[in-house]
Amino acid sequence: MKRIGKLIRTFPLELVFWIGALIGILFIDPYGAQHFTLCPLENLGFHWCPGCGLGRAMSLLTKGDIAASWSMHPLAMFAFGAIGYRIFELIRHFKTTNHYG
Amino acid sequence: MANVLRHLPELEGMELGYIQGILKNMDDDQANLFAQVYRARRKDNQMVLILCLLGFFGFAGLHRFILGQVGLGILYIFTLGLCFIGTIVDLVNYKSLAYEYNIKVAHETLSMMSNNTNYFPNANTKTGDNA
Repeated sequence: MKRIGKLIRTFPLELVFWIGALIGILFIDPYGAQHFTLCPLENLGFHWCPGCGLGRAMSLLTKGDIAASWSMHPLAMFAFGAIGYRIFELIRHFKTTNHYG
Repeated sequence: MANVLRHLPELEGMELGYIQGILKNMDDDQANLFAQVYRARRKDNQMVLILCLLGFFGFAGLHRFILGQVGLGILYIFTLGLCFIGTIVDLVNYKSLAYEYNIKVAHETLSMMSNNTNYFPNANTKTGDNA
């Protein structure tokens, strides 16, 4: 029981989330007209928010379609940079944040 | 050996254990100084939680700015917290975010104290062995 509690507390949720997000983006089909969405705003009935199209834009970027990516959402390149840097930082601090010394 | 509960009683959980690991190599004067500097610089995890909640009202990513992650802060603020998904994840994860930042601050404080030996004026006057 104590082991499970410790496992939950030290589980690297954020790292798993970012890496999972990047893997998910690789599997999106950006050219499909209608698609399954996780977006809570879309599911609530709002059809536009400032982040709309970011996933598709990042997906287009991995396929090399830079112009289409820019018109879908201009922050795609920046998002890759920021998320990649964050993953790097999380892995770099992984050891020091869990144990002293 | 200094006791963390005497110098920084507001800490809890993993942070408490970590800071105790740092303080066990210090005497009381050093621990007192460390506690003052660390308390002034650390971020409370409740502040991270509240700034994170502001994300639901259109001001997403303020907690990322506060924790020094400017890139992700800009990304969050321009995409409404990655369409709320990032905000919700950070809402679950706010303690780890604050903990990670505080550990970094603790290490900065430690290296600052070890770089600057004049940082311990009280220790010198009391023991008199470092003159």
